[in-house]
Amino acid sequence: MEALLLSIRLSLTVSAILFAIGVPLAYWLTFSRWPGKFLVETIVALPLVLPPTVLGFYLLIAMGSQGPLGRFWQAAFGHGLAFTFTGLVIASVLYSLPFAVQPLAASFESVDRKLLDASSVLGAGRLRTFLRVILPLSIPGVISAIVLSFAHTLGEFGVVLMVGGNLAGSTRTISIEIYDRVQSMDYAGANQVALGLLLFSFVVLSIVYGMNRYFGRNSGSRIWSPWPTK
Amino acid sequence: MAHEMTQTALTARIHFDRSSRSNSKFILDVALDFDAGVTVIFGPSGAGKSTLLDCVAGLLKPQRGKITVSGDTLFETDAGIDTRPERRHIGYVFQSLALFPHMTAAGNVKYGLASLSPEEQNQRVDEILTAFRIEALRSRKPRELSGGEQQRVALARALVTQPRALLLDEPMTGLDAELKASITQDLLTWNDRHKIPILYVTHNHEEAVALGDRMVFLKNGRVVDRAEKITPVK
Repeated sequence: MEALLLSIRLSLTVSAILFAIGVPLAYWLTFSRWPGKFLVETIVALPLVLPPTVLGFYLLIAMGSQGPLGRFWQAAFGHGLAFTFTGLVIASVLYSLPFAVQPLAASFESVDRKLLDASSVLGAGRLRTFLRVILPLSIPGVISAIVLSFAHTLGEFGVVLMVGGNLAGSTRTISIEIYDRVQSMDYAGANQVALGLLLFSFVVLSIVYGMNRYFGRNSGSRIWSPWPTK
Repeated sequence: MAHEMTQTALTARIHFDRSSRSNSKFILDVALDFDAGVTVIFGPSGAGKSTLLDCVAGLLKPQRGKITVSGDTLFETDAGIDTRPERRHIGYVFQSLALFPHMTAAGNVKYGLASLSPEEQNQRVDEILTAFRIEALRSRKPRELSGGEQQRVALARALVTQPRALLLDEPMTGLDAELKASITQDLLTWNDRHKIPILYVTHNHEEAVALGDRMVFLKNGRVVDRAEKITPVK
């Protein structure tokens, strides 16, 4: 139960941070004409292809007592970053970044550019156009970004193990709990937790795809989905 | 937001070279003056009609030129002036109409009135919806409207801000003749009071003849002919 609550707390924190970071980043990736933009796209997408242990290893080095982030944190807050909940949050934000940014950017991109032109000639600046036109028409992408961030963080294992270790109450998340139980031959317990996670993931993804189709049919917004949308 | 309508005129000296942005070669090079009333911009596809409107609206930036409306300079390369589209006070009805699909008809029309008080906004919206005979449609979303009704909402949305000029980019494509005539009449009635220059782009000959006080014939980015009062042309 403690592990589940910790995982939910971590997922909620990471989802909120990813939404705050992901929206402006996705907006910039969608509308910027900077020729070097592909480099930023590559960095954002890296966690999709990197083994979690690779990302976790470099984050552990960076957050360690000799790493730049760890030293900065030590100087600023008087304690280290590795094997702490805050360290887990930072690592999870980086690891789940593409799961938030890509649906958001795809939704922003699918908004008809003529609507943005119309907003502009009607006197709206970029912020108002974003808040009144782009964001409401990107609701499926926003929902996808939040839910996928949450679900992906909830189920992560490799990065958590590398950066957070296995400290009950502060870094032992639900996936580490399953691993722990298997290690101690408690298959029944592991099955109970794993089944809960499986059902939760199924329900979350069903909600995302169901809402996408609902919004696609009933609002003017476009569907973001890795599956065919017809 | 209100402007001195009787003095309104639009001048456009535009040199726009699209070759610098894409592989297709196209240069728009025009020097035009527009008085109050409807000027039909007529010409074949690819003549530069929509490009001309986009430059006037500020959606495209010419390489050289000067654009003024009501004596205000909106764009001038020599002086380094390039007023952003949202500050030009020019109405624009796109070919696709570009109505906001998530807003009602009234919401679309109200969108450009953000700087006014709520009372003024409502008053303006009521007036324009009545003028274009769409007051009964105010709560409907664009997808619940017919083509002609959408057209009226788009016109109302562009005109409710009391723009200094109105740009219409083939807005009546796909409507039948009777509906076109009805909407055109409402537009002309509105402009009898407001007297702003209206640039009406079309490649439909009948529309050009029916609507225009004047006609400018564009071809390959150049003005090849002008007529003060349109007469049928073979």
